[in-house]
Amino acid sequence: VVSHREDDDPMEAKVIAAVKGGDTASYDYLVSKYMKRVVSIAWGLLRNAHDAEDLAQEAFVKAFQSIDRFRGGEPFGPWIYRIVTNLALDVLKHRRRFRHEEISDAIPAARRDRADLSAQANELARRIDEAIESLPEMQRAVARLHLVEQFDHSEIAAMTGLTEGTIRSHLSHGRAKLKQKLADLYGGSDD
Amino acid sequence: MTERDDFLERLQRDARPLRYELDDVAVTRIRARVAARVQEEPSGVAAMLARWLRPAAASFVALVLATTLGIRWIQQSPEPASVDALLTSNSSVEVTIDGDTYTLAE
Repeated sequence: VVSHREDDDPMEAKVIAAVKGGDTASYDYLVSKYMKRVVSIAWGLLRNAHDAEDLAQEAFVKAFQSIDRFRGGEPFGPWIYRIVTNLALDVLKHRRRFRHEEISDAIPAARRDRADLSAQANELARRIDEAIESLPEMQRAVARLHLVEQFDHSEIAAMTGLTEGTIRSHLSHGRAKLKQKLADLYGGSDD
Repeated sequence: MTERDDFLERLQRDARPLRYELDDVAVTRIRARVAARVQEEPSGVAAMLARWLRPAAASFVALVLATTLGIRWIQQSPEPASVDALLTSNSSVEVTIDGDTYTLAE
C-alpha cells in the first residue's frame, strides 16, 4: 500500500503558526499545497466538478476557522483531508434524503460527469471507474480513497471517523465485487 | 484479502489516472475565493478573543437587562403605608385581634 503522507515540511509548521497569529495571507501556502488533492478527494466522492470545487473551498474555510484547535507540529494534510471527506459524506447523506438525488444516483456516475474524466483516463481506468461506481456508497467511498487516492486503512479510518476494522470490511466486500466485475481484465480466480 | 494483495495493488496502479487533476485556472479561482472568505474572517487572535468575549458580553447584557427590569419593577410597586401615614390620616384604622375588631380614631 502506497502511503501518501506529505514529506516533513518545516515551512508548513511556520505557516500554521503565522496563521494562528493572525497572518491570514500565509494561509494561501496551505491552500496551494493541498488544493489539488483536496479537490480530487471531493470529486471522487461527489463526482461533480462544480460541487467538488465548492466543497474544497468550504473545507479550507472551515479549517481556517478552527485553526486554533489544530495541534502544532502535526501535518496539515490529514486534517484537511478529514474535513473534506466529512463534508463530502454529509453531502452524500443529504443527496440520499432527497428523491431527485436518489434518481440521479441510480445513473452511473461515469455518465453523469464523464466530461471531467475523459481528458485524463484511459480505457482501463475507465472500466475501473465504472466498477468502483457500481459499489454501494460506503464501499465506493472507501474503494476510491484506497485505490485512487491511495490512502491506507488507518488514514481512511481517520478521514471517515470509522474504525480500521470497518474500513477493512468495506474494502474486502468491495474488492470481491470489483474482482468479479473486472474478471476479464484481471482474471476471475482469487489470489 | 491477504496482507499483500496483488489484485488491489494492480488496481491501485491502474486507477491512478482516475485522480481528478485541477487545471491551473481552477486552482487560481479557488485560491482567490478561499482568500476572500478568509479575509472576511477575524484573524486568529481576534477570533479567539471574539469566541471568549461573545458569551461574556451576552451574560453581561442579560445581567444589565435583569437589573434594569428589577429596579423598574420595584420603583413601580405601590409603597406600603407607613405607620406615620396611618396616624396622620383622617380616617380611622381598624385592627382585628383574635376575631375582635377594634377601631382606632384620632
